[in-house]
Amino acid sequence: MPLLEVKNLNLSVLTGNDLLPVVRDVSFRVDENQTLGIVGESGCGKSLTSLAIMGLLGGTPISMTSGSIVFSGQELTSLTNKERRSIMGNQIAMIFQEPMTSLNPVYRVGDQIIESLRKHRQMTKTKAKKRAIELLDLVKIPEPENRVESYPHQLSGGQRQRVMIAMALACDPKLLIADEPTTALDVTVQDEVLALIRDLQQRLGTALILISHDLGVIANTCDYVAVMYRGKIVEAAPTADLFSNVNHPYTHGLLNSIPVIDRDIEWLKAIPGRVPTINEKLAGCAFNPRCNIAENICTTCDPEQITLHDDHYVRCHFAKRGTND
Amino acid sequence: MIIMQRVLWIFKGRRLALIGLFWLCLVAVVALIAPLLAPFDPFEINPIMRLSEPGIPYLFGTDHFGRDSFSRSVYGARMAIIIGLGSVSVALIVGGVVGMLSAYFNRLGHFLMRVVDVLMAFPALLLALVLMTLLERSVTNTIIVIGIVYATTTARILFGMTLKLKEEVFIDAAKCAGAGHGALLFRHILPNLISPILVQASFIFAFAQLQAAALDFLGLGLPPEIPSWGNMLSEERIYVTRAPWLLIFPGALIILSVFSMNLVGDVLRDKVDPRFKLDIKGI
Amino acid sequence: MISNSLLEVRNLHTHFTLGGWLDTKQVIRAVNGITFHINRGEVLSLVGESGCGKSTVGRTLTRLENATSGQVIFDGKDVLQMPASEFRILRRDIQMIFQDPYASLNPRLKIVTTLSEPLFCHKLVRSRSDAREKIADILERVGMDRNDMHRYPHEFSGGQRQRIAIARVMILAPRLVIADEAVSALDVSIQAQVLNLIKKLQQENGMALLFISHDLGVVRHISDRVAVMYQGNIVETGTKHQIFDEPNHSYTKLLLGSIPRIPMGIYS
Repeated sequence: MPLLEVKNLNLSVLTGNDLLPVVRDVSFRVDENQTLGIVGESGCGKSLTSLAIMGLLGGTPISMTSGSIVFSGQELTSLTNKERRSIMGNQIAMIFQEPMTSLNPVYRVGDQIIESLRKHRQMTKTKAKKRAIELLDLVKIPEPENRVESYPHQLSGGQRQRVMIAMALACDPKLLIADEPTTALDVTVQDEVLALIRDLQQRLGTALILISHDLGVIANTCDYVAVMYRGKIVEAAPTADLFSNVNHPYTHGLLNSIPVIDRDIEWLKAIPGRVPTINEKLAGCAFNPRCNIAENICTTCDPEQITLHDDHYVRCHFAKRGTND
Repeated sequence: MIIMQRVLWIFKGRRLALIGLFWLCLVAVVALIAPLLAPFDPFEINPIMRLSEPGIPYLFGTDHFGRDSFSRSVYGARMAIIIGLGSVSVALIVGGVVGMLSAYFNRLGHFLMRVVDVLMAFPALLLALVLMTLLERSVTNTIIVIGIVYATTTARILFGMTLKLKEEVFIDAAKCAGAGHGALLFRHILPNLISPILVQASFIFAFAQLQAAALDFLGLGLPPEIPSWGNMLSEERIYVTRAPWLLIFPGALIILSVFSMNLVGDVLRDKVDPRFKLDIKGI
Repeated sequence: MISNSLLEVRNLHTHFTLGGWLDTKQVIRAVNGITFHINRGEVLSLVGESGCGKSTVGRTLTRLENATSGQVIFDGKDVLQMPASEFRILRRDIQMIFQDPYASLNPRLKIVTTLSEPLFCHKLVRSRSDAREKIADILERVGMDRNDMHRYPHEFSGGQRQRIAIARVMILAPRLVIADEAVSALDVSIQAQVLNLIKKLQQENGMALLFISHDLGVVRHISDRVAVMYQGNIVETGTKHQIFDEPNHSYTKLLLGSIPRIPMGIYS
């Protein structure tokens, strides 16, 4: 049984009187101890998907129009807000992009971890503090006994993100969702934080959903990758399989767009055009205006999801033919 | 026609504000054609008919001199517009120049903004009272005094906004393109201040009415014979129990105009900015 | 001394003082004595992590920040010493592309106004129709439509705005362009387009380019030479191949080792 199974998730945003779809028919599963990477450009719906899982769409103009989210055999969408909150932060925890804004600047970092422990685990204050120090030690913050007394502004960006990870791990969640956890960090710090996430994930056996725009980050951290474009998963496969057997022209284009540091490329093969805004209505495959292999069928008919082989799924009319130049 | 369409587009979905705008237009029109509308001379004293109840021919009744309250209200609209526009112009020009220049030129700002701070330390009405006692009672002086009172807040607001705008990347970019002080101030900074200026203008217009009424009420504003809504309140306040309509009509006019101006100001603030694309539902 | 170098920076310091008057003063040495040069038509990248002072270097060269000490010689003239009026003329030759295309265009001005500004400030055109002709040309060169000039910035996507910002710079045909994280705010697929565009324009015009970036992949793609900055100093300078293939300094090695690599071997 998968730990988390998202089926046909559809999200729409209300602008004016229009309900515009922003996430369409997204389905994926995460097994225990597995790492799923969701990659895509800004506005592709990857962050909204994670917010939907966390039940954090209330108060936004975005609503879930259909779909199901099953976590450990429990349908999350049918729970009351209160029941959902007890799962959030407890069994599913989240790490956000900007560690400065997601930590409350007026409380000591220790107190913020202690508060969450006392709320979800009903621990005594001394016990919770001991656990907070353990957690800071776990995320490799030096001198955790002193650091629990620090305020967020006294820590560096990398340390703040470590604190966020410690907070997320406070209640031994079964699933951790990390939304661009290292985007705001420098590469050297990013490397350390990613190493930490990989290490913890292996030691604690927590399942992880890592959301990023950076294919490099995903490739180095995840077992399974889902590529999103304009609200849809266009290609999903185990990491090694995805990179050795690219099928969707968007994935292909994305890989060609990245300037690599290992060799010289005279001109990058950029994807032409631009990312369509949510207001634009596109018939057929959403990628067809930018696709180099698009034919008539692509402008009229939206491709269904095709299974290539075990666990490699593509949404492209020409999937089996391949697109390699 | 194009202007009408544009106005309707701006006020789309904001019905209450549209009513406010309509009311302000009505006041403006009434002010323009006051001599045609007023059935009586607003200055004509008729002691026999003093304190008549509203009816025919005295729609709003008559005051304790027997002057037609309706005619005075109509001419009062004229005063309201003159005081409003005048104070807004004085406040925006003085406050705008002081605020923008202070923020743009640091050294000048250190000096000018301290002066503004001192002026702002006085409550608005007190400052107006002090200035008014130094000057003669007249329309021009009332406008100048109210304008200066609100120039201080305008200067403060525009100072802060200019300071922030000065740090914007597009200002750096314009500098790199070769723009000088004039171009930076007038082409890049000023247009970005239009919406706060408009909002500020609408509030000043509204507050100027209240301030003018308050000054009139205290006998320091417009000369008493001039028909303004504030003067009408002030003159007839002792008759509040005997002839309440003498206070109700001008009072209602002041409230309606102030409220309308605030509503219109809110809409302007939201719509004038080209970045503001999503419509906010509601008023 | 006749040399091939267009820009020479010698022992440049830019310090910021925080606090003052009643507070205790704190001096931040954002740029702490750096020396480098750029040859005519060459692309030099300044690479480093956030807070290393690389952006401050760019801002000091364009006099958006005041240098504390040091020399900046552009084409034989000392940029830091000359009076502001003289530097305004020189700005034509030293242009800058900024990181955030959403912030670098004045939201209230039509594209045509924004692009006219440099032309009129430097008296490169005689009339408005002259200016329009030039603007239409440059817009087409950066891959936009000539009619886009009548629109406002908010009508464009991030990538398109950055093209417009590039047009504003290129319309002056400068001899040195400073690109401060010019592609960092863009999506990967768009970043590649803009990067290709900058490279194409650089090659066509033969201008020198100081490319400031934290992204080593991008830097490798565009540079001839690379200078690595760390805490206000340049720790290593070399040709692209020296820096990427035979790095000397331990910090350069650390940077290169930190980049998450895509298993391209399997892919290609």
